[in-house]
Amino acid sequence: MQKLKAIIDWVDVRIGVKELIVANTSGYLVPRNINVWYSLGTVLLTLFALQFVTGILLLMHYIPDSEKAFASVEHIVNEVPFGWLFRSLHAVGSNIIIVALLLHMLSVLFMGSYKKPRELTWLSGFLLFNLGLILCLTGYLLPWSQLSFWATTVATDAAGAVPVIGSKLVELLRGSPSVGPQTLGRFFALHVVVLPLALLALIGVHLFCVRRIGISTAPFGPDARPATVGDSFHHEEHPNGIPFFPHYTIEEGAVVCFFLALLLAVTFFVPELFIPISALEPANPYVTPEHIKPEWYFLWAYQTLKIFPSKLLGLGAQGALMTFLALLPFLDRSPERRPAKRPLFVALYVIGLVLLIAISFWGHYS
Amino acid sequence: MITTYLNRRLTPILLALLLLLPFTALAEDAPATPAETVCLQCHAGQPGHLGAPVGLWRDSVHAANGISCHDCHGGDPTDFAMAMSPERGFIGVPQADAIPAFCGRCHIGVQEDYLASKHGQALGKGGPQCVTCHGNHAVQLASLDLINDKDCTRCHTYERAAEIREALAATDARIASLDTELDRLHRTGITVKALKGEIFSQRNSFHRLFHSVDVNRVRAETAGVQANLDKVAAKIDTIHSDLSQRKLWGGVAIALLLVAGVLFILLRRTLPPHEQ
Repeated sequence: MQKLKAIIDWVDVRIGVKELIVANTSGYLVPRNINVWYSLGTVLLTLFALQFVTGILLLMHYIPDSEKAFASVEHIVNEVPFGWLFRSLHAVGSNIIIVALLLHMLSVLFMGSYKKPRELTWLSGFLLFNLGLILCLTGYLLPWSQLSFWATTVATDAAGAVPVIGSKLVELLRGSPSVGPQTLGRFFALHVVVLPLALLALIGVHLFCVRRIGISTAPFGPDARPATVGDSFHHEEHPNGIPFFPHYTIEEGAVVCFFLALLLAVTFFVPELFIPISALEPANPYVTPEHIKPEWYFLWAYQTLKIFPSKLLGLGAQGALMTFLALLPFLDRSPERRPAKRPLFVALYVIGLVLLIAISFWGHYS
Repeated sequence: MITTYLNRRLTPILLALLLLLPFTALAEDAPATPAETVCLQCHAGQPGHLGAPVGLWRDSVHAANGISCHDCHGGDPTDFAMAMSPERGFIGVPQADAIPAFCGRCHIGVQEDYLASKHGQALGKGGPQCVTCHGNHAVQLASLDLINDKDCTRCHTYERAAEIREALAATDARIASLDTELDRLHRTGITVKALKGEIFSQRNSFHRLFHSVDVNRVRAETAGVQANLDKVAAKIDTIHSDLSQRKLWGGVAIALLLVAGVLFILLRRTLPPHEQ
């Protein structure tokens, strides 16, 4: 302990690390009425870290070659010590991450935390959500199963609906006229290098924004008032708040534990929940499965494409919705954040959510 | 000014395109594979007896195992013009008497036992051949259900067939049960290819006996098949034991996480309220 203290003192003299630690832990005060929904950021950080660790372990045995990819995944699951665990944690973890991302976004929307001056925090978070979806999509192909092959065929095929450049875009995504070894190569590179680096960078931007501007107060309780935001930078202080550490960190620890328990529950007891039977058969370009359905988080968009008379219209509608969500803080400029004072927003929020769930179910059973 | 104006207008469009990318995953049903054999592409659209075999075959055990038209009928499945050319080995539809030899190119052992049996000896004299009992394009995994009163009495009385069926029943049921168990394990991601192969082999050996239509031989050779099935059953038990252990440790880990979560909540309550 003496040696450790000596090392810390040595570093502290040079870069003032003790001051930094205090400023970001016990000296960092967060709103007193902070609630459980604020923990989802930490939950997501934990889950992303787990994806990195399990991903690296999988990478040690996975072979990104269309002739060997499926067999290498079978080898991981059946031969490599604890390979089944890493693979399941990685596959199930990606789904739990989407759940946490959705909950995080929905809670931020409901509490109006996206509003000025947190537009950049929202935008970086929204891009992170999309990046998470693209990571799932690219990871889907890597096992080179029937599901991987045909889901990617369908996914890349849809890009062909873009006018003028459609066919070029499809070929760019696939690297060849149809899904094949070249597609696997580029999806692999995207999934293990490009996208994780982009994710890390965006997480950095997001956390910087959160820390720089300060955590927003939950818009609940008798003292909740619309914030007055000026035109100059102002870090939102919470002089009557609670310390980030240990008070709020402990609360976050509890939520992280519950999420990890959920992840393990699915991994150990119902791993097949997120792994359809077609994911267990090797890719066969000669046999088209009868019904290819996207993952649950893409079902709403899948069904939307079926509702519209043309694929282009469907894609346009989805693009419009996503753009609207991305730009929401720039459109919704009222400083009011209390849900009770925003009946129109709350009504649209509930209708939108119900619609999203209903269309997803429709897509599942259609 | 114009640049600013364009930037304002273009930014949402570019963002829309960017955000659209993951949702291209969502298309309608999968497009028909262009890689289907030319036999299927051509015959699937034809009416009557020329198109019917395609539908029947799609639900067959042959289709499930990747055995396609050209595997039995020959020809070139990649060339529309030469698909039915004898030069490319096209055989077409065999005569009834030639069917055992036609099927026997793959089912060699079965053909041997069949030809040595009373059924085989009656070939060409009104006796049954493969498709009499199994059907042709809709052929299913052979089971004891093929030996039944209705079908057997088309040619002879049912007593002897019933006796053979009874001798086969227990082992056949065990094969089916082990096979189902392997399917369940496969659903959880366990690779069971080797064990499925062993069951496939045992089923084939055992079903060869069906074709001998000799009840004494069935009884004599069943023990050997059962011994091999015991080995498969032992391996399945080992897998189940591993899976149970996984669940046990998983349960322990989940319980620990839940306890940790509750402890964190309790710990938070013990912390004094922060005073500025």
